[in-house]
Amino acid sequence: MGEPAIAVRGLRKSFGAKEAVAGIDLEIAAGSFAGLVGPNGAGKTTSLSMMTGLLRPDSGQVLVDGLDVWADPPAAKAVMGVVPAEAQLFERLSGAELLEYSGRLRGMPASEARSRSAQLLDVLDLAVDAKRLVADYSTGMRKKAALGCALIHNPAVLFLDEPLEGVDPVSADVIRRLLTRFVGSGSTVLFSSHVMELVEQVCDHVSIIDKGKIIATGTTGQVRGGKTLQQAFIDLVGAKAGGGEGLSWLGSSSG
Amino acid sequence: MARLLVRLKLRLLTNALRSSRRARVSFIVSTAFALLVAVGTFVTLAALRGQSAPVTQTAAVFTVFAFGWLILPLLAFGLDGTLDPATLALYPLRTRPLAVGLLAASATGAWPLANVLGLAGAIIGLAHGALGVVVALLAVLLQVLFCITLARFVTTVLAGLLRSRRGKDLAAFLVIPIFALYEAFAQVVPRLAAEGKITAETFAGIDRWLRWLPPGLAAHAIQDASDGHAGAALLRLGLVAAVVAVLGGLWVRSLGRALVAVDTSTQSSAVRGAPLPFARSGIRGTVAGRYLIYQRREPGSIVRWCIIAVVMAAASVSTIRTPAYHVALILSAILGAGMLGTFNANSIGLTGPAFGLEASALTGMRALRAYFTGRGIALAVIAVPLLAAVSFGLAAFAGHPADGLWVVAIDLAGIGAALALSSIYTVALAYPAEKRVGSPVPGTADGYGGQALAGTFGSLIGVALATVPVILALELTHSVPAAVRMPVLVLCAAGYGLALAWIGVRLAARAAGRRLPELCQIAIRSKL
Repeated sequence: MGEPAIAVRGLRKSFGAKEAVAGIDLEIAAGSFAGLVGPNGAGKTTSLSMMTGLLRPDSGQVLVDGLDVWADPPAAKAVMGVVPAEAQLFERLSGAELLEYSGRLRGMPASEARSRSAQLLDVLDLAVDAKRLVADYSTGMRKKAALGCALIHNPAVLFLDEPLEGVDPVSADVIRRLLTRFVGSGSTVLFSSHVMELVEQVCDHVSIIDKGKIIATGTTGQVRGGKTLQQAFIDLVGAKAGGGEGLSWLGSSSG
Repeated sequence: MARLLVRLKLRLLTNALRSSRRARVSFIVSTAFALLVAVGTFVTLAALRGQSAPVTQTAAVFTVFAFGWLILPLLAFGLDGTLDPATLALYPLRTRPLAVGLLAASATGAWPLANVLGLAGAIIGLAHGALGVVVALLAVLLQVLFCITLARFVTTVLAGLLRSRRGKDLAAFLVIPIFALYEAFAQVVPRLAAEGKITAETFAGIDRWLRWLPPGLAAHAIQDASDGHAGAALLRLGLVAAVVAVLGGLWVRSLGRALVAVDTSTQSSAVRGAPLPFARSGIRGTVAGRYLIYQRREPGSIVRWCIIAVVMAAASVSTIRTPAYHVALILSAILGAGMLGTFNANSIGLTGPAFGLEASALTGMRALRAYFTGRGIALAVIAVPLLAAVSFGLAAFAGHPADGLWVVAIDLAGIGAALALSSIYTVALAYPAEKRVGSPVPGTADGYGGQALAGTFGSLIGVALATVPVILALELTHSVPAAVRMPVLVLCAAGYGLALAWIGVRLAARAAGRRLPELCQIAIRSKL
């Protein structure tokens, strides 16, 4: 295995007394489709924010494509694309303007940014709505627009936080196919999710995070250990007991 | 149903009070203001007793209150959960009991009570005799009922639109005429009254129109009853009651429709197909293009530019036609530029979470300098012609149009200072902004009042100080012929302003380079 596309060492972050990320180590090989899974509040978003240079860690090191994110943020940012959990977009730009803006911010010539924007909008099934304001986009359209912004400069590594949350199946399929094609060309994807079926379907590498720590990492097969990923995850994280025994009145047979 | 919805309204109020210190302060201020309006209106109306034609002024006050009820709920849509029928659409409620309940909820609170108490001043000011007092009581109650029904009818009919992005944009623009009207009342009306240009005859003229509207009918009913014309009084009250009944009926029908109407939020039209402006100007031009589009498409930005123009005009209105007009022109120029600085002293917070997209692309000091320069160019492209136009307009209004030229020199220096200071404050005093219901301009998130205050006063004072050299140069070069003096002064002031803005960009970029992740986190916490 060559140099990993993403290497995280001893990453920590606390908010007051709460330790959100308690020292994580992670290595993702180039060309991987990697998933970071964990329950709500496990530290997925905080970890991804630190990996992408958007949140300063208390300690630790992050290397993306061999570039130290916190020693040389500009160089690292140039090789990565980021799709945050809640698509943070310019609501008053149209979809076409948004993608073009994103490309030009990355130093692309205007004509190149415009041409790539048109191609991405087409592939993302947003061409018809390209001239509508982002403020009027649905959740799925916003996610697709955010993905377009993150891909327009053809990054080596793409980070996505809950990319399919609230997205309809058709849009989800468009996103999934685009990401698979992106990884097929040798680029790397790391995305966080709590939808196990999705991770099991598309990821070749999985890491499970709980209470700010990586509790399992490896190929999807290794982490599953012969079970479904859902079951492996529940076994590792621990399911809450209780089937609602107090709700005797609930259900049509109770009258 | 009525009791349940009144309790819901009270519960929403108390929960809002518990939620934050700001909500508590806002509630106390609002209640105190309502009390002030109640007492003020009561005293004003009661003081009309014995004066000539008090009915015309009472009719005017009644109409102003109705206008307020018409406009304010549109601005406060979302503030009162009971105003939006969609919040109750899931429940198995029949329209009529729901309407009665919503009406009762509307009548609950400090402002409806302030209305009843304030307008009750007409009982003392206008009513004579037992019949007059009884009719006055009925008229006040009918007037308040008319106001509430009118407000409910309008908000229900427009509920779908008000929930949509476009409707909220349109509602935001209502602030501009309200602000301009307020300034006109605060500045012009007292002066005209002092000069004797507003008299009882002025109200009589207005009353010829107002007397046929429901508030005017209610006021005139009191007058008729007091003059012994019981039939005319009852006829007028009957007309008001009929209008309330018709409005109520229409409201109940529109409520029934609103509960099952489509949400218009996803219906939108396309923007023009032109590409982003400044295509060949790198990051600087790209950011300038984005900022310019936002100045045009974001209602809050348009409102802020209009407020700058209104404040410039309002600051000078009292002295512009006097020999001290030049003081008014200087004051207006400084205030205009100062407001430009104030409104843009938190650009990153106001950009909100989308700044994350920019931050992920801004690689290095060069890019950050280009970012702040682009922002400055976009603001200057609007500020320079706007402030120059207002200054020339005011100079022309003062009767000295040529003086507009030296005011432009102050404008240019002030704009440069405002851009410099706002760039620095945007980085040094950044804070999360929060959209406030009823206001097109986002406010400050809890706990950041100090930064907002420092940005505001820092901009105003900084701009005032920065323009002192230009004002001094103007004073010291009085003896030089204007044909030589003016072009040199304007050019020097422009150069000075540019130099200030350039220094601001460099300082802001250097500071931003050190704390970009922190700025990003602040922007992400903004709720816009």
